[in-house]
Amino acid sequence: MSSELNLDYSLLTPEFCLAGLAALILALDLFVDDFRKSWLPYVAAAGLAAVLALSLGWVNKESDFAGLLSVDNYTTFFRVFFMATAAVVALVSAQFVQDKLRHPGEYYALLVLSTIGAIYMAASRELLTAYISLELLSFCLFVLVSYAKHERRSNEGGLKYMLLGAFASAILLYGISMIYGTSGSTFYADIAAAYAGDTSAFDLALLLGLVMVLAGLGFKVAAVPFHMWTPDAYEGAPLPITAYLSATSKVAGFALLLRLFSGAFMPVLDDWQWIVAALAAMTMVLGNLVALQQHNIKRLLAYSSIGQVGYMLMAIAALSAATSSALLLHMTGYVITNLAAFTCIIAWYNLTGRDEISGFRGMAERTPLLAAALTAALFSLSGMPLFAGFFTKFMLFQAVADEGFLWLTVIAVVMSFVSLYYYLLVIREIYVSKPEEGEERLPVPALISGLTVALTIGVFYVGIFPRHLLDVAEEATKLLFA
Amino acid sequence: MNMTDAWLLPLLPAAAFVALTLLGPWLPRKGDWLAVGAIATVFVMVLLIAADFTDALAAHGEEFAGAANSTQWLEVPGQLELRLGVHVDATTIVMLTVVSFVALMVQVYSLGYMKGDSRYGWYYAVISLFVASMLALVLADNFLLLYFAWELVGVCSYLLIGHYNHLRSAAEAAKKAFITTRLGDVGLLIAIILLWRATGTFNIQEVIAAAEAGEVGREVLTASVVLLFLGAMGKSAQFPFHVWLPDAMEGPTPVSALIHAATMVVAGVYLVTRTLPLFQLVHGGPELILAVGLLTTFMSATMGLVMTDIKKVIAYSTINSLGLMFVALGVGAPAAAMLYLFTHAFFKALLFLGAGSVIHATERQDVSSLGGLWSKMPITCVTFAVGALSMAGLPILAGFWAKDEILVALLDNKAAFALAMATVPLTAMYMARVLILTFFGDPKEPESHEHAHEGSPFIFVPLVLLAVLTVFAGFVAFDQVGELMGFPGGIGEIIFLGHPHAFHFDWNVAIGSSALVLAGLAAGWFAWAARPSVPGVCLSMLRPVHALFANKYYLDDIYQAAIDRVVLSIARLVAWFDRNAVNDTGIDGGGYTAKFAGYLMKFQQTGKMPNYALGMVIGVVALTLVAFTLKG
Repeated sequence: MSSELNLDYSLLTPEFCLAGLAALILALDLFVDDFRKSWLPYVAAAGLAAVLALSLGWVNKESDFAGLLSVDNYTTFFRVFFMATAAVVALVSAQFVQDKLRHPGEYYALLVLSTIGAIYMAASRELLTAYISLELLSFCLFVLVSYAKHERRSNEGGLKYMLLGAFASAILLYGISMIYGTSGSTFYADIAAAYAGDTSAFDLALLLGLVMVLAGLGFKVAAVPFHMWTPDAYEGAPLPITAYLSATSKVAGFALLLRLFSGAFMPVLDDWQWIVAALAAMTMVLGNLVALQQHNIKRLLAYSSIGQVGYMLMAIAALSAATSSALLLHMTGYVITNLAAFTCIIAWYNLTGRDEISGFRGMAERTPLLAAALTAALFSLSGMPLFAGFFTKFMLFQAVADEGFLWLTVIAVVMSFVSLYYYLLVIREIYVSKPEEGEERLPVPALISGLTVALTIGVFYVGIFPRHLLDVAEEATKLLFA
Repeated sequence: MNMTDAWLLPLLPAAAFVALTLLGPWLPRKGDWLAVGAIATVFVMVLLIAADFTDALAAHGEEFAGAANSTQWLEVPGQLELRLGVHVDATTIVMLTVVSFVALMVQVYSLGYMKGDSRYGWYYAVISLFVASMLALVLADNFLLLYFAWELVGVCSYLLIGHYNHLRSAAEAAKKAFITTRLGDVGLLIAIILLWRATGTFNIQEVIAAAEAGEVGREVLTASVVLLFLGAMGKSAQFPFHVWLPDAMEGPTPVSALIHAATMVVAGVYLVTRTLPLFQLVHGGPELILAVGLLTTFMSATMGLVMTDIKKVIAYSTINSLGLMFVALGVGAPAAAMLYLFTHAFFKALLFLGAGSVIHATERQDVSSLGGLWSKMPITCVTFAVGALSMAGLPILAGFWAKDEILVALLDNKAAFALAMATVPLTAMYMARVLILTFFGDPKEPESHEHAHEGSPFIFVPLVLLAVLTVFAGFVAFDQVGELMGFPGGIGEIIFLGHPHAFHFDWNVAIGSSALVLAGLAAGWFAWAARPSVPGVCLSMLRPVHALFANKYYLDDIYQAAIDRVVLSIARLVAWFDRNAVNDTGIDGGGYTAKFAGYLMKFQQTGKMPNYALGMVIGVVALTLVAFTLKG
């Protein structure tokens, strides 16, 4: 590291603003009366949108803060990504929080704060910074998962998540210490420099370090066998938080993985490539097969998201410029799709109180717009053409196959096929099963309708004009392999 | 209206199809006016395009090869570029005129004929789709678009043959027509792919140019030409694919006139005309066309002689005519083939529409239950007679000029000429037979004869128009006629592909063939009008021959046996394999396996936190061991 540290705090302006936004939300919650509290989600969303616009000022700039954090196109990409996700989740939460939860101020404040952690996970260039960012995100999520504090399942999910998260953190820290022990540094660039040149020698400490770092991060992204918290947390968490878990928490893990492994561990590729490939294969197979057995939509999506993690891990196993940009593209398409699906599911749950798969019968008659949007989202998740999922998966699988992991791609394609089955089960309930007698059309709030339409357009946009987003993703990942 | 705007033509009826399909039930008169309006507009546009073409011809002289206009449709950089476009030359203009005019006549006629049909709107929708596809087929500048249109006209033919879908026979006929032509279509598709692989383009002109430059291997070219011809044989009902056309008469009669006489069945002739240079590059290519054409002509004439269904007689006469067109192509006289195609469209459509008028009036179509209709339906009788005599080839009617042109082209090939001449009296005889048995003599069923009457103007106006054209259309062969009509180079210039002086007239052939026609007509008059006992006597003497003809050379039975024995037994095997191996074992088995695997795997999710933590530890240990093994 250069002796002169760059301590330019202006680089961190968006995150300062986010912290300010969280404080503002808490203050509003304290000082305004209950009636106005229904405004909090809109304050949060508007604030996030404003900071998002602000962060666009760093496009095509490249700088770092004391060597710990990078502010470059990669960071900017994820700033936009996480803030947009948080804004959507805030909007989707509006009615749910009002109806089902208490203390909305803390809820939205934690949502905004967790975004900071997610952004810094993507921006970190140093292991401990990355670790602290991860913990910042995790702690917010521990609380949010158990936010429905009068529900047993929410408490159970949150507790399991927290205890196992602590366990995973310990493993991660142990791994970091081993990496530090073998390389003498916690900065990605210095680690890479320490390993450069000599790759043939066998180093048990390095191997253990890599495995433990992978285990710790595997917990975060829910890779098999570190995934077991996922179904319980997804099921127990308030629905919007389930959506948030499946989007930000997962993507932040991958953002960290991608920068860490491309920045620090490329020289020892041989040591970890097969471990990640094995993780990817197990994750795809288990996630998709167990999803076949689920009856609750939240658990179904939990397992299907584990399956999706398997696909994404392939990109890490076959790490290259092409797979990285394909990964970013796929994650974007996946998150847009998933948010669309969850928006519909949350709205349906708000209206009917049902979250069993069989509870979706009659949705086509009662809320046709939601039914169509949910169907589009599920088709996209399974990878049907025209929808986002097809092209992003196609790009991802192709990039992975080009790197020599054809066998992984074959598993992924077969598992995508399996996934179509359980998505179709839901669609069958929506369209084929008739509503019971006396069930009328349901009024869908205008905000939700608008959000659904916007997200569905996004699903089609990514599916039909993927080039635009792919260019952005390529621009964002270029510097990782410079 | 320029030639390059011709791509607009198919869009109008296609739009009518979409409108009728989606909005049909809510439109006044079920939207028939939309379909008729679209085709009428198309006809006017075709006339304008033809005028533009003759202007260009006058300006550029004989080297004018036609106009093209295409747009990129799909591109895989470096590998494949697909362009879709139109190509307008003399052949195209002839076809466009025929298709648009006959389609207009038939659609007007259908206003009367199909009135009250339960699927009236659907009928007009499909007819519109057919016209759109046929126009696209004619205009296509590349094999791919041609193939799409080729299949689409096949689909429309299928739908229209089966229009009376409550009749089992109609459904069977539709199926038969579709499958039989499909056999040829597969050949066409393979030929297109072979030619594309050899030349890298789908454009017809470019393929021909490449083949002429010797860029296509001899074997590939031979295979492609033969396969291409299979496609043409299927569509144009050439032996041994002809069996579908007589059965196709199950469709409404206007459909028979449009699709199974004037337009779709000549698509094969058109295709071969467009690709004739390819055939001429292949050793034995033209001879193949000639042989198939001659065989078809002769066989269909013999079968036409014994059929008793008025529409089937005309159907066999169509096969007869199509064979003649291929004969002309086989001896390298595309101009003669196109002249025949042009005139044939009018008199054959006339015959069918006339037959339709009879069927409409009597609800009978077997000649053994008709007769004596001339007094009840004079217009139909006269116009039908004009059509029949033109088909027979009586001088100055359109069919005469076209048929003689083909015979003249055959003069160098003695055997072919002799066989073609032999079919001339046969044709005359069966046309005389159907005319006499339908309109003259005593009515065989007085009751239906009683109620017979001319149809509405929608029905007889197209008849009269077509009859007039049948009388005069042959004169286009003479330059002077065209010049009088205001075309600078005469219409012959169009028909004769820019060689106005290619029309040959040979007095010897004309006199000889006319004598044979008269002899055939006289024999027909003698056998079925003057001495009605003669056919019976002949029948008893020539029973086996009659049986052979009446049973269509037993081809249908042979095909049926082949299908039952060979195709179906293979199909049963495939079905068994599909049911047991693919479905039960492959699909269901795979599904159950996946579900069962999921069932087993779900037990790792115990819900107990110590187990979760243990799982993580096991994961770390296992991964370390894996890494250790791989590295160490």
